[in-house]
Amino acid sequence: MTKARRDSVSHRADLGQVVLKRQGRREFLLKTGGILAAGAFGAVPLRGWAADPVNIGALYPTTGGMAQIGVGCVAAAKLAADMVNDAGGIKSLGGAKLNLIISDVQSDTTVTRTETDRLITGNKLSAIHGCFASALTLIASEVAERAKVPLLTGSSSDQLNKGHTYTFTPFARASQFAQAQLRMSRLVSDKPKVAVVFENTAFGTSTSNGLREQAAAEGVEIVLFEPYSAGFTDASPLINKVKSSGANALFSVSYLNDLILIVRTVKQVGLNIAINGGSGGFVIPDFYKNVGKLAEGLQGVAHWNHDMDANAEKVNAEYKKRTGEFLFEYAGGLVAQTFMIADALERAASTDPQKVRDAIAAIDVSSGYAAMCPGGKVKFGPDGKNIHAHPVGVQWQNGDLASVFPDEDRRAPLMKT
Amino acid sequence: MWETVAQAVINGLLIGGIYALVSIGVTLIFGVVKIVNFAQGEFVMIGMYISFFLANQFGIDPLLSLFVSMPVLFVIGVLVQHFLIRRVLGPNDMPQIFLTFALSLLLLNLALMLFSANYRTVHTSYSDEAFHVGGLYIPVAKLIAFVVAMVLSGALWVFLHTTDLGKAMRAAAQNRDVATLMGINPNRVFCVALGIALALAGAAGSLLMPFYSAYPFVGQVFVLMAFVAVVLGTLGNVIGALVASLMMGVAESLGIQFVGADSGLIVVFAMLLLTLAFKPTGLGGGRAR
Repeated sequence: MTKARRDSVSHRADLGQVVLKRQGRREFLLKTGGILAAGAFGAVPLRGWAADPVNIGALYPTTGGMAQIGVGCVAAAKLAADMVNDAGGIKSLGGAKLNLIISDVQSDTTVTRTETDRLITGNKLSAIHGCFASALTLIASEVAERAKVPLLTGSSSDQLNKGHTYTFTPFARASQFAQAQLRMSRLVSDKPKVAVVFENTAFGTSTSNGLREQAAAEGVEIVLFEPYSAGFTDASPLINKVKSSGANALFSVSYLNDLILIVRTVKQVGLNIAINGGSGGFVIPDFYKNVGKLAEGLQGVAHWNHDMDANAEKVNAEYKKRTGEFLFEYAGGLVAQTFMIADALERAASTDPQKVRDAIAAIDVSSGYAAMCPGGKVKFGPDGKNIHAHPVGVQWQNGDLASVFPDEDRRAPLMKT
Repeated sequence: MWETVAQAVINGLLIGGIYALVSIGVTLIFGVVKIVNFAQGEFVMIGMYISFFLANQFGIDPLLSLFVSMPVLFVIGVLVQHFLIRRVLGPNDMPQIFLTFALSLLLLNLALMLFSANYRTVHTSYSDEAFHVGGLYIPVAKLIAFVVAMVLSGALWVFLHTTDLGKAMRAAAQNRDVATLMGINPNRVFCVALGIALALAGAAGSLLMPFYSAYPFVGQVFVLMAFVAVVLGTLGNVIGALVASLMMGVAESLGIQFVGADSGLIVVFAMLLLTLAFKPTGLGGGRAR
């Protein structure tokens, strides 16, 4: 049993939920037999001594290729549930506690489908949050839509909002990221000349095309638009090209290994250029662990950052105490999502997923943990998108991510590199 | 313009030095033992992980860990020859191909299991430094790697031409039966050849570590270039492999600069095809086998 899974199982046990899966048959018979016997004598009042807990599903990949981020998400999900419960639970439901039911979707689309199905049919859920990777969330949202259980997610794919009435996205969409990245180049120069280098697979091509399409409208000139084959041995020739293009900003749509080579080579060449690495794997603690000091000054975009307000800083401090790392965008976002669910439960005064869904759709907050996102306001449009959502431009400063863009979200001055 | 070309040539030569260490190992094994070692890239990967862990756990500079990775891989080479390759040396090529290919897959998946697919980097004081000469720059870590690679290649050449064991190795490469008749123990010679070839792969790994990330698939990146260099420089020819590796590094670099960053290898393979069309035995000459 991996550590993550052990944690998730023991956490379920902590919260007093009877988990039938993975128990021995004998153990099962002993327990159920005991309960039946006790029931027959009318000895044990099984329920009624406290408000029934509210079941919240959490779908995250805690094993497989995406496990690193998934494990962080689970830690944040537990922290968020503890925060709601320690503050007295859901008052309109008699102080009912949130009961987090974590499910490992194993970084796999097929497993995501079966696990989401199992989670929904096996438990009486009021709401779900997950799965971080868009490819997985798209599947989970289909299943949740059919089962009519509301799902909140920080995944950014615009496709998530198409034809779904039970999927809610409180944070920026993929289409907004390219725009934010282009606007950030103006931090460096009034006349941004951008070199876009991207690895030549679906991910790199679609992201870079998004940048190119919006460049003119944002008044940004793209002076180099260069695909490369991922996994090269030497970034020098590529950086040579960037140098001769006369660019003053470099957008690198790359996987980690290539990005490390690019950053190192830029430094060796002595090229004075602002590098923007985009989002995803670029804005998690692991990136800094791998790249070290070289990451200092690099820019990126995120849908959430921990320095946004005092609440976010408080959650960040607690998360750091528990895990030793800062609260990264996805984990922080899902803490806010948990409070949005709590807010909806409070107003719905019911655990019925349909009523909770309607209460989430009607959410309108501008303070507290639920409003902990760039812009500080959450109100969903008919398509389930937060109408106030926008990404925040970040920069690596002293091993931490600082918000530097746009002006209203800036918490630290841009570090010159 | 000339500056761009000169810079591309410098970049190409420097990375070519690393290709050379890998390809010399492959060509040495082929020349002496007459087998193609498909697992050579995975031994580079092992060298990188040795350097990574020494740097990470004990703070040893990756360049100093050469003195660990090379002997360790030499011993692995001797063991691989003695316990695995020796048993499949026969008139049939198939078991040899499957053996080294299986070894490659085994090592790759073992690394995935033990180290996960994460990228590991070592940061040294000279990792990001470069000498600037005029408008040109030469990265320190790559320059060191190149110089050490050339020194090791030179040492190998001297070893093959001046020592008894080296001469025995060349003799066994030319004609195994006659060499055996002259009192040369082929298994001993083969063990040393495998040991040297793997030690070179280990050296390549350690030299790469200051400027390249270690991950389980890293060997695949370098072994492809190594095989092209081995064929281009004539199978079994050490000097040929060295020269071909440097040429390929330069061709790749110029290709990226002037054709496109996703088509640098086009130039390399065009060069290979042209060479094979006009000189099927490779640039190193020699008669066709």
